[in-house]
Amino acid sequence: MRMNKNREIMIGLEVHVQLNTVSKLFCACATKAGEPNSAVCPVCLGHPGSKPVLNKKALEFGVKLALALGCELSRKILFSRKTYFYPDMSKNYQITQYEIPLGSNGHITLDSGRVINIKRIHLEEDPAALVHEQGNVLVDYNRSGNPLCEIVTNPELDSPEEAREFMNKLVNILSYLQIFENDSIIKADVNVSIKEKNFIRVEIKNVTGFKEIERALYYEVERQKSQDVMQETRGWNPDEGITYSMRSKETEDDYGYIIEPDLPFFTFEQSFIDEVKKQIPELPQSRAQRYVRDYKIDDTDAKIIAYDLSITQIFESIAKKVNPVLTARWIRRELLRVLNLENKPLNETPITADELIELFALLENKSITNRIGQQIIEKLVKEKFSPKEYVEQQGLGKVSDESELSIYCEEVISNNPQAVADFKSGVEKALKFLIGQVMAKTKGKGDPVLIKKLLEEELK
Amino acid sequence: MSVIKFVKSVKEGSIDVVKNAEKAVLESKKINSEYNYFNAFDETALAQAMIVDKKVRKGIAGKLAGVIISVKDCICVKGVESTAGSAVLKGYRPLFDAAAVEKCRAEDAIIIGKTAQDEFGFGGFNVNIGNGFKIPLNPLDKSRSCGGSSGGAAGITQKASFPHLAIAESTGGSIVNPAAFCGVVGLCPTYGRVSRYGLIDYANSLDKIGTMAKSCADAGLLLSVISGHDEKDSTSSNNKLQYFEFKNSVKGMKIGIVKEAFGEGVDSRIVDRVSDAIRKFEDKGAETVSVSLPTTFKYGIPTYYILAMCEASTNLAKYCGMRYGAHSELKGMFNQYFSAVRTKNFGAEAKRRILLGTFARMAGYRDAYYIKAAQARTRIIEEYKQAFKQCDVLAAPTMPILPPTFEEISKLTPLQNYMADILTVGPNLAGLPHLSLPCGKINDFSAGLQLIGNHFEELELLEVGNAYEQK
Repeated sequence: MRMNKNREIMIGLEVHVQLNTVSKLFCACATKAGEPNSAVCPVCLGHPGSKPVLNKKALEFGVKLALALGCELSRKILFSRKTYFYPDMSKNYQITQYEIPLGSNGHITLDSGRVINIKRIHLEEDPAALVHEQGNVLVDYNRSGNPLCEIVTNPELDSPEEAREFMNKLVNILSYLQIFENDSIIKADVNVSIKEKNFIRVEIKNVTGFKEIERALYYEVERQKSQDVMQETRGWNPDEGITYSMRSKETEDDYGYIIEPDLPFFTFEQSFIDEVKKQIPELPQSRAQRYVRDYKIDDTDAKIIAYDLSITQIFESIAKKVNPVLTARWIRRELLRVLNLENKPLNETPITADELIELFALLENKSITNRIGQQIIEKLVKEKFSPKEYVEQQGLGKVSDESELSIYCEEVISNNPQAVADFKSGVEKALKFLIGQVMAKTKGKGDPVLIKKLLEEELK
Repeated sequence: MSVIKFVKSVKEGSIDVVKNAEKAVLESKKINSEYNYFNAFDETALAQAMIVDKKVRKGIAGKLAGVIISVKDCICVKGVESTAGSAVLKGYRPLFDAAAVEKCRAEDAIIIGKTAQDEFGFGGFNVNIGNGFKIPLNPLDKSRSCGGSSGGAAGITQKASFPHLAIAESTGGSIVNPAAFCGVVGLCPTYGRVSRYGLIDYANSLDKIGTMAKSCADAGLLLSVISGHDEKDSTSSNNKLQYFEFKNSVKGMKIGIVKEAFGEGVDSRIVDRVSDAIRKFEDKGAETVSVSLPTTFKYGIPTYYILAMCEASTNLAKYCGMRYGAHSELKGMFNQYFSAVRTKNFGAEAKRRILLGTFARMAGYRDAYYIKAAQARTRIIEEYKQAFKQCDVLAAPTMPILPPTFEEISKLTPLQNYMADILTVGPNLAGLPHLSLPCGKINDFSAGLQLIGNHFEELELLEVGNAYEQK
């Protein structure tokens, strides 16, 4: 563990994410279901005589994540029973990994360069969901047995902001690996302690959603500064935005782990590990660094582009054909803006690299104006067409004919005497206004540099 | 009539499957009213028989055509109350057949009902029955125990005059123990040979589904049907026992005599009968060699009970009155409700094993008990593996005593109770196949000869047992 005497706050996370397999961790029931208790069977209901059978896909996803986080992979896979009584548990024990986790000693590097060590990651089954309804507590076993992956960090995060950055990076990797539904809920147990109170450890259980994780941490740090702190487990109330005491550590749960005897130990074949390794794409951090180094693009552009797998993939195919700096700028400033506006991910639009290569090439050659470029992107998000043909058909090519532009300039000057007077008295902004007026007359096709030059000559 | 002969006659048309089933049901119910061998009857038995009858007439009936099969209560039979002998599962009718039952049905056997047992298999005398259940009585003397925990299976196997096979289950000796007490053949296979899917767990790493019959040939026949891989049980093996013909010879076979099993604490009459049996093998051309298993005999009992109780205490956690089986009035917090259901419906021995098992896996004790026992188990397996370098099968008595009376049993402490398993826990811990067959009368009873084989060597055991039966 990293020891730093100057640290004010120590935060560790235990994050639970649901892997997006088709079936549950130990039975063939679907992980996605509509009606309550519709995706259930004797195994996930814990019926006497039923036996768990490990879903190999879930294991593969776990291995993928372990390798992507730089973990050492356990060669021997075994599961354990964690026993405690609770109404959401179909067997009153949870099948999890205890003795030997799937992966250990991994890490995520923060933007500051700080390495946050990941102690372990392991697979386990989700309990059922408790539904509170009209004074009753109902149990929906659709969730029972869903595959979860738990990621445990060392208490090396220094602030709620760092915790948020860590979570962002983790979620980013999960979606990169395509083992996680972007809209699925992330849960975490967080532990936090502060120097002022001699780092007495407090755990906050079951914080749902990663914005809540940051909120809970902010609250808890402030609480610890202003109150006496004892070693305890607390809960998080998101409505009131406060943590509350659940139990003191003296009554810490003892889960009486034993090896799950229904699942035999097994070891990975090297060929299986190699196969999984091949499926892992280059991760965002390394891509962003590569873009800055090889393409000389802006650091922020690089990080933003590398954040999303489909965006980064389209960027790489375009950057082979068109100027990467221009490509990066247009993807970040325009493509992402339009996608955001439409509230659609890239893969739900008809856009492929081909259209953007044509469009960016037109921009690179200065054949169209930026304004026309923006309009084409807005249209591309909605329908499939060739930007090059479209520009030709619609006559949207940049107007660089001085005589045509001069006519527009003269018109604009005579129609806007006030702006002309302003410009002559030294108001620079007035020129911009006049350029805009000329551009409007060309329906955005005019070359703005040329227009500026012509106007300046006219007004001299 | 042997089951093998019965199936032949059925297929030849000389035995009517439906009439046989009717007679078997009537007789079983009559026996049950006196001896308590069944926890539940499968009321569809005659309907099953009629379907089999049609297949017999078409000439498409399977290897167990019309054979009456009883199933230990802890093995699920679809739609038939399956309680593992516990009040906590009263009213539970499984939604599925256990894999072993399904395989019997596929060969056209007729399932007659669920046989009595110690609650969840927790006992060797079948007196640790669930609340509201009846103690099965020894078929040879009603004042005595029929052994356990598969007591009902052994009792009906001895008592039935019709051809019958029993599907039983062993965790620490629960097949061979009652087989010895009731004078029948009990065959507990290698761990993993038979799928445990549908077996209501006692201790999953030790539980094995096996068979009982009046002869080794019949016990082997049933095992050949129920063995083999099942994708629903990850611990089941691909190694299916193929149907076989006996060589009727033990010539050249090496039999290891387990030294510790003939010493102090074993009834001298049993020692004599088993020694006589071994001499018969020598007469038939087998070689014998003395084998010592000191680790197994010193540590077998504690190792077995720690592991079995640790696993059992987790397996029994699911019985809390929420989804199936016993329920009670919804009152208090969930843990109060769970406790109320469990307090009322578990018997004393189940509670004892939950407490001891939970204790032995708690932080602070786990390393000293649970982990240590797991290590001891590995040593015991190694010791057997060494022994099988010197011999093909091991021979020992099955039980150190003759069936005790219920009065005698009531005076035993729990520890004395557990010590009765001294000769059977070894092969069960090591997952080795073992067989008990009657080998010589002592008053009304027979001594049980226990034969233990290397992993997946059931055929050798059956060969030796069959040779003995041929005299």
